Amino acid sequence: MAIMRYAEALNAALREEMGRDPRVFMFGEDIGRYGGVFKVSRGLMDEFGEGRIRDTPISEQALTAMAVSAAMTGTRPILEIMYADFVPLCMDALVNQASVFGYLWEGQIEIPFVLRTQGGGGVGTGAQHAKSLDVFLAHIPGIKVVAPVTPADAKGMLKAAIRDPQPVIFLEHKLLYNTRGEVANEEDVLVPLGKARVAISGTDISIFASSKMVVEAEAAAKLLAKDGIGAEVIDLRTLRPLDLSAIKASIAKTHHAVVVNEGWNFCGYVSELSATIMDHCFDDLDAPVSRVAMPDMPIPYSEPLEAAVIPNASRIAEAARRTLA
Amino acid sequence: MATPIRVDSAGGEYMENVVILEWAVGLGSSVTAGETLVTVETAKAATDIDAPVDGYLTAIFAEPGAEVPLSAVLGLIGVTAGDTAFDGELDEASASDEERSETIHPQPERVAPDPSTSEDRIVASPAARRQAARLGLDLRRLGASSPSGRIKLRDLPAQGTLVESRPVAALPVDDNGPLSVYRSGRESGVPILLIHGFGADAVSWSPIERELARQAPVIRLDLPNHGQSPHRRVGRFANLARDITKAFDDLCVEDVHLVGHSLGGASALALADVRPRRVASLTLIAPGGLGPRIDGEFIEGLARASCPDSLGPWLRHMVCDPKMIGDDFVRAAMASRMDAGLRAAQLQMARDLFPDATQGFDLRAALERLECPTRLIWGRSDAILPWQHALAAPGRVGLHLFEATGHAPQLERTDAVLAILRAQIALSGVRA
Amino acid sequence: MQNAPSIEEQMEIHRRMILTRRLEEILGGLAKDGKTRGPLHRCDGQEAVGVAGCMALRANDYVCTTHRGHHVYVGKGMDPRRIVAEIMGRETGYCRGRGGHMLLGDASTGMIGGNAIVGAGIPAAAGMALSIQVMKEDRVAMAVFGDGAAQTGIAHEAMNMAGLWKLPVIFLLENNQYGLTVRQEVQSPVEDLFIRAAGYGMPGLKVDGNDVVAVYQAVAEAAARARRNDGPTLIEAKTYRMQGFSTSDMGGYQSEAEMAPWRDRDPIRLSAETLSKSIGSEAVAEIAEAAEVEIQAAFALALADPFPVFEFHRPSGAYTEV
Repeated sequence: MAIMRYAEALNAALREEMGRDPRVFMFGEDIGRYGGVFKVSRGLMDEFGEGRIRDTPISEQALTAMAVSAAMTGTRPILEIMYADFVPLCMDALVNQASVFGYLWEGQIEIPFVLRTQGGGGVGTGAQHAKSLDVFLAHIPGIKVVAPVTPADAKGMLKAAIRDPQPVIFLEHKLLYNTRGEVANEEDVLVPLGKARVAISGTDISIFASSKMVVEAEAAAKLLAKDGIGAEVIDLRTLRPLDLSAIKASIAKTHHAVVVNEGWNFCGYVSELSATIMDHCFDDLDAPVSRVAMPDMPIPYSEPLEAAVIPNASRIAEAARRTLA
Repeated sequence: MATPIRVDSAGGEYMENVVILEWAVGLGSSVTAGETLVTVETAKAATDIDAPVDGYLTAIFAEPGAEVPLSAVLGLIGVTAGDTAFDGELDEASASDEERSETIHPQPERVAPDPSTSEDRIVASPAARRQAARLGLDLRRLGASSPSGRIKLRDLPAQGTLVESRPVAALPVDDNGPLSVYRSGRESGVPILLIHGFGADAVSWSPIERELARQAPVIRLDLPNHGQSPHRRVGRFANLARDITKAFDDLCVEDVHLVGHSLGGASALALADVRPRRVASLTLIAPGGLGPRIDGEFIEGLARASCPDSLGPWLRHMVCDPKMIGDDFVRAAMASRMDAGLRAAQLQMARDLFPDATQGFDLRAALERLECPTRLIWGRSDAILPWQHALAAPGRVGLHLFEATGHAPQLERTDAVLAILRAQIALSGVRA
Repeated sequence: MQNAPSIEEQMEIHRRMILTRRLEEILGGLAKDGKTRGPLHRCDGQEAVGVAGCMALRANDYVCTTHRGHHVYVGKGMDPRRIVAEIMGRETGYCRGRGGHMLLGDASTGMIGGNAIVGAGIPAAAGMALSIQVMKEDRVAMAVFGDGAAQTGIAHEAMNMAGLWKLPVIFLLENNQYGLTVRQEVQSPVEDLFIRAAGYGMPGLKVDGNDVVAVYQAVAEAAARARRNDGPTLIEAKTYRMQGFSTSDMGGYQSEAEMAPWRDRDPIRLSAETLSKSIGSEAVAEIAEAAEVEIQAAFALALADPFPVFEFHRPSGAYTEV
């Protein structure tokens, strides 16, 4: 084990997987010589050459489509999309290509590519560089969407994503890259996709979150503990396919749920979580599910304005108290 | 001032709700006391509710098909055809029941129950609803602690706690308060004192009590650790007998017709033994104390049962025809056993009185000593206490043995048992 | 002639064009009788582009096509019986009835695949070429796409990267003059689209899309260039769409005057004339007869095939557990 930053954990995963499988290559804007805007691919071009680490033109649409078809024809591409806000440019390749052909041509082809991107706000990047569009992606059948929060999961899940036979969207958060944590050095430590994690165990209320919102949920749990409320924080880790049994188990214990996502509220990922809980845990619920999400408006720039829209620990704690009242 | 029409004790044993079947009298009609007004359905059968006074049927609050609590006011009988004046605040039973408060103030334009109106809808969380169903609890009787007004899980007893509680650990500090007593029926005459069996309570006499109340004062009491009576470690049967005697003395009645079922039968027999001159007659229904045998598993299972699923099989074991114990009956019975402390106390009581599945007390000598008119009623299919124990009775004691009847003849052969009781009272009434 | 098809290859091209034409005609009849589902996009008149273009490739080369791709399916060597089965929604179809006529895919012949998002095949072929380049394989990828697709933004992105990285890809622009109902000149400021190749640093050329030899030659030469790691080529094959946009097209915008000269230049007729000179008209007629037998058998077998049974697609599912 070693203490690593989140970005370093990702870098280690990329280096290990590219080293073990010549079919793996990576492309994206500024990822090569520069090492990526968030330095995730630092040093990889020197190690693996310009053929397997490619700087690309600003062509998200075609890049994503090319990742899909390259994956269909024997390679395992990793595409970095610099900001999650650019995901709408990638949509046809995901919605009309990867999703469709994974089903239509099942048995003939596999589509093992990873699309890495990062979203989230909090540092004044403004309305076009701070969004969390998790739900746009999690809506698509046949595409896995993961959003780990710890460096250990970042490494283990990126490795699992690269080895997965299906398309995987790997969602990072700009505020997580510098967080530190213990990470396995061993090459074969994978964290399975589709499995949630109990970040904090509790009996009074379940808080479901992913990515940076897990950090906020954990802070909320500490606030709630001062009031004698035992909050259970479930780090979903994978947004699709969702670990339903973990959700059911937690709600069977706490009977209360707060669902958190940094994206918009209306038709948001929180809405899906809420409906899923309603579908599968209705009789276990002792109160309506509370959603904590971004207000339904663009993200403003100025610090007090931006702070007002991004879900945080106190909003989560407040929602928990309201749910338990 | 109009007089309320109530279901009162028309409900079957353990029933909390009844369903309105049919009004025999139309709105506005004149009625005379004793005339059948409305037929209601309990878990067992259809029952007629008679007019309590002369007057006019001026309001109907419960239309056919409506399910209403036992305590509900079904309608009003006015002094005149337009008299709907009725002050619900005066009426304790109704005033304590928030759910019915709407019906206390009659509003003729909306007398028919409308299932879509919000006041009919109980606001409770799904988890609370499920828990209430498991425990057989009526949500109407629960209050909401949440500012949302929604009944939540915390407003119900936790089933897990009930199941897991160790009986002794759950036993509260002994409460030496008096046993709870219920009086009903006529004002004058020799009262009939009813003592229920193990695991039941005073309410379980409902069908019998209602009938007897027409002709005599009726007194029912709850055994210790049963119904509303205090919980305490009884220990030996002699202590139970002392409790009963004290409660009897506290009644300040000259004499009584004494009726007891099962453990209540043993208690009645013991009471008759120590207060022979104040017992006008004694009727023992499948009484304990006349032999060693008893179905220990039944006693233990009944005492432990913390949900309808575990209670139902034992209730059905008690009777000859299990079909007569419907799910509603079981849920209603469970509702009276919600208190974990009560169940723990009963379990301890069962272990004290019936160690090693044996009746640890013998009252056959007391039966020999009796002088009052005494009858024994027993079902030949009694799976709890064998009817052959009845054969220990001396020749003076009348014996009524019913075919195809289990441990609860008063439930399974209500009319026949009533007839026997009436005959008993009539006989001894001469003496009284 | 360099890169020209052999006589045997020309005969095979001819046979596959007839198979394609008859496929379209029989499907047209079934559609009229209400026996097909959804729209059908016929490629009558365009057979030379898809068939000769694919015949110039190797079996392991990749090709992707459009919603109007029956000639590419047949041209790349797919089995007409399984093509028909897919179009008729049968279990034996190439996609087991999941795809329909626009979305056929067959990895075994490298036809991956049909695509009904206009323009999507262009980056798809570029991505396949990227895969080939990363894996240093001896293959090429080819996108067959229309003049409508040439106007998409993604065409620009993909061609730019193909030129930039010298990807082993062929862009075969099948200019049939129409994007749905709108003529090419209403969609583009230039009459010849191949001139755009210059902007991507790749060779561009125009060929007669109804001349199998011309198409074959151009593609064969582009493939050879790609295999030499000299990068992509843009080939504009001028042709004409004879049967409207689809079976749901009401028509009325293609005049007889406009169509007549193209009818005279029917690629199958032209191919028959050319072939007759080498093998005689009897041998050419025999090819047609054999093709007729094959296509009739394909329909007979496919129509007797069972429908698939619905099964939920687990990998698409939203939850880890069922």
